[in-house]
Amino acid sequence: MRDVRGDVVRRQLHADHGCNVHRVRSICGYLIQGETTAEAIAARVDDLFADPIIEHGAANTLFLSTDLFDQTPDMVVTVGFKPGVTDNPGKAATDGYLTLFPEDTEAKISTYTTYAFYGAGDLDPTWLAGTLHNGLIERALVADQAACQAGAWPALDYPTPPEQVFIQPKTIDLECDDETLERISTEGLLALNLEEMHAIQAHYRDEEIRALRTTHNISPDAPTDVELECLAQTWSEHCKHKIFASRIHHVDHETGEDTVIDSLFKTHIMTPTHDMQKDVDWLLSVFHDNSGVIAWDDTWSVCMKAETHNSPSALDPYGGAMTGIVGVNRDILGTGLGARPIANTDVFCFGPPNWEGTLPDNLFHPSRVLRGVHAGVRVGGNESGIPTVNGAIVFDDRYIGKPLVYCGTVGIMPRHLPDGRPSHIKTPVAGDIVYMVGGRVGYDGIHGATFSSLELTEESPSSAVQIGDPITQKKMVDMILEARDEGLISCITDNGAGGLSSSIGEMAEYTNGCEIDLATVPLKQAGLSPWEILVSESQERMTVAVRPADQTAFEALANLHEVEATPVATFTSTGMFHVRYGEETVAYLPIDFLHDGVPQLQLESEWTPPQQRPFVTPNEADHNELLSSMLQRPNIASKETWVRQYDHEVIAQTAIKPFVGVERDGPGDAGVIAPLHGDPHGLVISCGIAPRYSDIDAGAMAAAAIDEAVRNAVCVGLDVDKMAGLDNFCWPDPIESVKTPDGRFKLAQLVRANRELERVCRAYRLPCVSGKDSMKNDYGSGKDKISIPPTLLFSLFGDHPDVRKSATSDFKEAGDRIYLVGHSQQELGASELSFMMRERNPANGIGGNVPLLLNPEQNLATYRQLSTTIHQGWVKTAHDCSEGGLAVALAEMCIGGRIGAKVDIDGTGDGDLWARLWGESLGRIVVAVKPEHESDFLATMKGHPTTILGEVTPSSALEMVDGETTLISSDINVLADAWKGTLDMTGGVA
Amino acid sequence: MMPRVAVLFGFGINCDHETKAVFELVGAEAQRIHVNRFISGDTNLADFDILAVPGGFSFGDHLGSGRLLGNRMRFAMRDALRDFVDAGKPIIGICNGFQVLVKTGLLPGPDAGHSPDFVQRGSLGLNDSGRYEDRWVTLEFDPNSPCIWTKGMTRMTCPVRHGEGKYIMPTPQALEALSTTHQLTVRYVDPSTSVGEGLSDTVLPYPMSPNGSMRNVAGICDATGLVFGLMPHPEANYARWLHPDHTRGTAPASEGNALDSWEGEGLQMFRNAVEYVKQNR
Repeated sequence: MRDVRGDVVRRQLHADHGCNVHRVRSICGYLIQGETTAEAIAARVDDLFADPIIEHGAANTLFLSTDLFDQTPDMVVTVGFKPGVTDNPGKAATDGYLTLFPEDTEAKISTYTTYAFYGAGDLDPTWLAGTLHNGLIERALVADQAACQAGAWPALDYPTPPEQVFIQPKTIDLECDDETLERISTEGLLALNLEEMHAIQAHYRDEEIRALRTTHNISPDAPTDVELECLAQTWSEHCKHKIFASRIHHVDHETGEDTVIDSLFKTHIMTPTHDMQKDVDWLLSVFHDNSGVIAWDDTWSVCMKAETHNSPSALDPYGGAMTGIVGVNRDILGTGLGARPIANTDVFCFGPPNWEGTLPDNLFHPSRVLRGVHAGVRVGGNESGIPTVNGAIVFDDRYIGKPLVYCGTVGIMPRHLPDGRPSHIKTPVAGDIVYMVGGRVGYDGIHGATFSSLELTEESPSSAVQIGDPITQKKMVDMILEARDEGLISCITDNGAGGLSSSIGEMAEYTNGCEIDLATVPLKQAGLSPWEILVSESQERMTVAVRPADQTAFEALANLHEVEATPVATFTSTGMFHVRYGEETVAYLPIDFLHDGVPQLQLESEWTPPQQRPFVTPNEADHNELLSSMLQRPNIASKETWVRQYDHEVIAQTAIKPFVGVERDGPGDAGVIAPLHGDPHGLVISCGIAPRYSDIDAGAMAAAAIDEAVRNAVCVGLDVDKMAGLDNFCWPDPIESVKTPDGRFKLAQLVRANRELERVCRAYRLPCVSGKDSMKNDYGSGKDKISIPPTLLFSLFGDHPDVRKSATSDFKEAGDRIYLVGHSQQELGASELSFMMRERNPANGIGGNVPLLLNPEQNLATYRQLSTTIHQGWVKTAHDCSEGGLAVALAEMCIGGRIGAKVDIDGTGDGDLWARLWGESLGRIVVAVKPEHESDFLATMKGHPTTILGEVTPSSALEMVDGETTLISSDINVLADAWKGTLDMTGGVA
Repeated sequence: MMPRVAVLFGFGINCDHETKAVFELVGAEAQRIHVNRFISGDTNLADFDILAVPGGFSFGDHLGSGRLLGNRMRFAMRDALRDFVDAGKPIIGICNGFQVLVKTGLLPGPDAGHSPDFVQRGSLGLNDSGRYEDRWVTLEFDPNSPCIWTKGMTRMTCPVRHGEGKYIMPTPQALEALSTTHQLTVRYVDPSTSVGEGLSDTVLPYPMSPNGSMRNVAGICDATGLVFGLMPHPEANYARWLHPDHTRGTAPASEGNALDSWEGEGLQMFRNAVEYVKQNR
């Protein structure tokens, strides 16, 4: 019988490190703590731990000395979890164990895996163990060759967490000098600046507050640790978006502008959307809830949210990314009175997977980050039963310092519940009982929100890393959606950053008060002190408010689904955030101070255009070679190996999948789903991202991202009159300081990006309905500091009238006529080609004209006409033209259709042949039309830039000419191999 | 009265909504029922005509896919399941549901003439590739199979979405016995072969066989032909607009007309069972 687990390790060692190990065998181990005898367990091994047909199972053996391992391995590595780390197989095993041994109620199981290596004599066992585990969350034991010969096998003990000492709530004296205030913040990982500490200090000097506190028997003139932690969470950059809310003094040295911006968010994101809300009736809920909600038809609404999980993914790519995806799923579940997550999107930014340079301390190699993040998102999404329908992977050296892991989720809900309430409006009243539902609270995830607001250093705490538990969450989702439909929920939100402190605190704004008893909160492990219980971000938890009359029904549903639901608080109208631990009041904060007390940041912004050495195109070039090389670039190469491991069609709704065409390996431009079974009414989901344009202008970067998201969606048949967007900004720290001397410039980049966001979204009638920002994406300091390129991910969801009338990128039939919609300009600055040429010759630059969106109103009009031709069924082939320009777009279309094309790029725009062939000008889409629909197509596109390129040919060659000059003549199969090879990274299936 | 279908859910099953939908499209009344409702006695399995165990990741596939949910059913629903099969009522397990039915011992089940004995006789192991993958495959049916779910079906396309779909029997004899009784109902085939000539005992190369199953087995039935399980997802091809080739105009048509000309090939399997119930009760 084949040992596939072992094979996977063997292939990966080969793919990532070039190691040729002869054979790897695996053993799954279960460490059981309980009352049942080993004999009793041994008798049931085949009922639970081992498959009687394909595995061997036994109790109380390491197996390696048995005759199952007749050959002595060269090396053995055993990997298990550290104490307290989420062990999902262990949890499942415990559940299964209780089915067999229901009496042994306190039993616990921890899992490990042992790998035995053969033909690996020249490998260093410690290095090998390092590739197989992450020391932050796992432990590994090794037996080297001598130990193997001696039969000294590694054996792990049950990972018992150390006893935790309960710390009594205490007060913190803030009557001290500024230096001490700052030290309290730094040492407590509070991430509060001096001005914020002053605001807190002032609160406790207020005589009215002191009097009020005295009557409630809590320290009158100093915060408790619970209060200080609670304020730190609620006021964190992560929760309050202080940079986007700041007052910015902006100076532009290019134009001489000197101005003040009072909140980028309100000015450039919220106001435009609210203006658009006056013109349409389908914007149901924007900004204030966990996701933005739009009406999709008369009966259903849809919502979407995207988040980032960058810092945790840098420390533990697998766990960090998994909590990212299951976390954003909960944002959907916590929208309105509960929406059902129906589609995921994943966009990652990594260092180059083939990086051969040095790595700073404590950072993983990009290929390991890619594998880990991918695995986390794969397991999180697949096990949750939510299809991943769209995404992207972007590579740049600077993401070695901090990978970006964007996870998005689309949800659906009936517009009205069976009891008549609109589902997008929360309806809590004072007196409602607040339940914590799902997982328990533990040490994992303390300080996540404040941690993500600090930059990553060697001292970054491992408690900030968690591993998600998709099955616990899936049970909770099932249960909550039933509770919603039975009308049992009056208010619901996710427990994410800031834990109960944020979730209950935010919901308490509705009724103006709450009273929490932390002693009632179920814990993973005894000994947590009150502040830890309040702010812990342990996963898989929702906070749900229920009317007292519905408590019995709610708890019965929780029982049925085997979901833990515990009343922990009551909504009040006292105006206070009141927290008790048993009878003792441990926090007593006015709701308005908690939510509105944070002082506005005052920041400085200064724009001088960055100087880039110009990109000069060579005089002579072999464009065939360039095309092959461009297709192999990680930014362009096929991501199919990775994407195919996501379930992209569970729920039976995905009408346009991530890969399309004859061999299902051509690129899909956007995801299309038809979520109501039997009904072809669809929803388009797309994204755009162009971080490298920030090297020239972050404003152009933002415009390019938005246009790309719209173009991608138009390519499949979006109705441009009903689309909504999400803005997710990931920035390096833009606050000027000793550590960030160029803070003013980075803030100016943010200003420019926001201004372009507003300009383009207004022109496109594209409201942003939700968004998020992550503002500390740097590693290290001084000359070793790595800052990511300012990156905006723009996600889009919009209406598709009928998925049967969609287009895909693959060429369909010989004779189909190929057109370019849009114009190519002389815009090669920061193009993928320029980066490739710079890598080939460092004397080359990437500077020059970056693609600009000069007339978005015209683009929208063109897109609307093109969508019409798709909805009419005339156009079945359309593909976005972006990285790598027209040459790459056409190559991808030929690969998808496994058919050739003959194309003339003469007349496609004002640029030189380099710009027309490789340039990335915005607003361009390549289309193919059957000859019988050509006249209808052209009539509809009349007045919009539409240029004939050529036609699909009954051949296997892509031929591109510029008038009389032949530029490219390449075999499609060769191009396909080039495109598919780079990121395969599987090591094959042998 | 319309045949009543119980679509199981809970603990990580995740294809329950679409499985309910496809039964409704072919004229059944389908309900999603949480596993614990049967276990607690709150709902009686005998009140239903068909049981569907949909795909998903019950208990995260830990300790082997389908194992933990299979155990719950094997120990807590034993009598109800045996009575259901003995009453001649159809059961289908898709993907994780198939894994569950194999681990409970309902598939391939005992020899003809015996009631279910809940002894595991086969298994589903990790794909040879070591990877979970979502990809479309071509399937062909054994025309002589006693399976009531696949009557009249010859070939269809639909996706596989699994990491543990390699079908294994412990001995060549046991596998041959299933072949002889035509219980190897559906298998992966090379799409370039002619319809009716695709079945092969030699393992096809990846990805035509996505997992390396013995004899390319994609699904099997029990000796009665009532209990059927398969790794691929027929419900995911209920409509032609879900087929990867629909924008190319080459998504295969179905004879059924539940969605006018847009019915997908997968729906017939569910229609077969619903029609069987109508004719046999």
